[in-house]
Amino acid sequence: MAGAATSNRQRSKLAPYLMILPALAYLGIFFVVPFFSLARTSLSSSGGSVYLPTLEFNWDFGNYLEAFSHYQDQIIRTFVYALVATVLCVLLAFPLAYVIAFKAGRYKNLILGLVILPFFVTFLIRTIAWKTILADDGWVVGALGSVGLLPSEGRLLSTSWAVIGGLTYNWIIFMILPLYVSLEKIDPRLMEASKDLYSTNRRSFTKVILPLSMPGVLAGSLLVFIPASGDFINADYLGSTQTTMIGNVIQKQFLVVKDYPAAAALSMVLMLIILVGVLLYTRALGTEDLV
Amino acid sequence: MSRNEFDPQILSRFAANRTSRRRFIGGGAAAAAALAMGGSFLAACSSDNKSATGGTSTHEGPASGTLRISNWPLYMADGFVADFQKATGITVDYKEDFNDPEQWFAKVKEPLSRKQDIGADLAVMPTFLMVRLHNLGWLNDISDASLPNKKNLRPDLLEASADPGRKFSAPYMSGLVGVAYNRSATGRDITKIEDLWDPAFKGRVSLFSDVQDGLGMIMLSQGNSIDKPTTETVNKAIDLVREQKDKGQIRRFTGNDYASDLAAGNIAVAQAYSGDVVQLQADNPDLKFVVPESGATTFVDNMVIPYTTQNQKAAEAWINYVYDRANYARLVAFVHGVPVLSDMTDELNKVDPEAAKNPWINPSKDVLDKSKGWGPLTDEQSKQYGDAYAAVTGG
Repeated sequence: MAGAATSNRQRSKLAPYLMILPALAYLGIFFVVPFFSLARTSLSSSGGSVYLPTLEFNWDFGNYLEAFSHYQDQIIRTFVYALVATVLCVLLAFPLAYVIAFKAGRYKNLILGLVILPFFVTFLIRTIAWKTILADDGWVVGALGSVGLLPSEGRLLSTSWAVIGGLTYNWIIFMILPLYVSLEKIDPRLMEASKDLYSTNRRSFTKVILPLSMPGVLAGSLLVFIPASGDFINADYLGSTQTTMIGNVIQKQFLVVKDYPAAAALSMVLMLIILVGVLLYTRALGTEDLV
Repeated sequence: MSRNEFDPQILSRFAANRTSRRRFIGGGAAAAAALAMGGSFLAACSSDNKSATGGTSTHEGPASGTLRISNWPLYMADGFVADFQKATGITVDYKEDFNDPEQWFAKVKEPLSRKQDIGADLAVMPTFLMVRLHNLGWLNDISDASLPNKKNLRPDLLEASADPGRKFSAPYMSGLVGVAYNRSATGRDITKIEDLWDPAFKGRVSLFSDVQDGLGMIMLSQGNSIDKPTTETVNKAIDLVREQKDKGQIRRFTGNDYASDLAAGNIAVAQAYSGDVVQLQADNPDLKFVVPESGATTFVDNMVIPYTTQNQKAAEAWINYVYDRANYARLVAFVHGVPVLSDMTDELNKVDPEAAKNPWINPSKDVLDKSKGWGPLTDEQSKQYGDAYAAVTGG
């Protein structure tokens, strides 16, 4: 009896490890191994024949210097775009998530469904649709032009704003959902309590709602900022030669120039900057209660 | 109407021919398909020695089994493949998975370097890529004995410097690379390369990102030859493009995807392929195609047999079938390229009399004299020019 109990206890101790095993194996095979391969490539130099170069691992940090010096404009532009898109996502998603969580009543599920609906259409098609909407001869440009709201280029498509708009549109769902979840968890009685204590609506919002929704803001920001930083489709379809992001450069280096060390170094730089940014951000906002 | 423009009567016929917009919709659609399908698309290009297709090529008996073809999207006539199957008994697995030459090369080079199957027994590609594969030793020779119809090939293409005698390649379709413009957007006619740099078109010009198609006509406009390009002449053209890009003159560097922007009016002037513009004009008569005063360039797409082919004989039977003038006329009428076979007028007249009269399918001597092809490049040159231009187009 005692033996069986021990083995049961041992089994239940093992259970969590067994449960994370598939995920660990998955991460090992599809993240850790490729990551080391990428890191190794980024520190290699290529030689040999023109089209079948051999990669030699020799701690060639020159690839990183080159990545920074050649493409610093694109690196800076990428993070500015991703940051602006993330801020826009927060500003647009917060009121929407707030309404869904507190005011929608029986329409809650309907509105949530409507939010998710566009995402049944593939990312690529949705982005290309914006080309039609923002076309130079389109009605949006015509309407904005007639009230004098066009950017200096006199067009919308192929400008920074089109790319940022595309990023915001394509990733905003990853802001709305975590925000909604964190707002929905807030106990309405806390707001009643703040009112009882003579708080104004604004103070209730800044002292109760906003702090309690921070985990949602944090999670949403990460879910938007990280993929937006690596995105190249929006810059490709909605941008111009003046709006290329680091993802476009990496794609070109991997598939056209086929300079794998340079492309790998750029990918590592992108990852490192995101990592540092995310660490600073989570430190500033706290991480105890992600979502 | 100048000699360099298209006959509007032909256009109405092409209007019905929407599926032949190879370079136009093809590029974007294939890219979209590649992205949307992701894994399955890559799987189609991955090595798989077990793929249950055709037998290994033997030199005995007639061609049979399965033939796997990789071609550009919308580069085929309706019913052509089915008729080939009926005529030969060969089953064709026809894939439109060839979109961007460099990206295709990036995908197949690892398996090919290990002599692993790439899922294609025959592929259609531009000359520079076929030369690259040949230099790497990755193409099989094509047997003249299996190709009685090779006699129909245009003599200038048969003796092309890229492959004299056409030992390892078989031209499929040719065409012109020139300038297209949207007359309602430009407000004037475009006649020369310098017009592309007119400040009035700032941010409304697109150039090809491909070295040969993009830089060729610019080098000609600078008085340089593309038959014998040098680092200096190529760099001079790249410098000009960089200067215009930095000024904000150039909106996009494109592959085959310039045409939708041109038709929509986002792009006023574009480097363009002749065949595309014919088809676009059907919807938008304001679009014009011109051979610039300093000259246009030509392209040739070629059928080649990778050394990993599993059915050499069927691939050769296919090429021979394509090289039959009556069969080929059907392809030309659909694709609107310049034929690679000689004396096509009679057969084209039978299939499509309007196409036979089209100045771009049967170009005049004047146009042909002004159209130049690139001379052969060494691997080092190709790589050097490609990287230098990519630094401008990609960043």
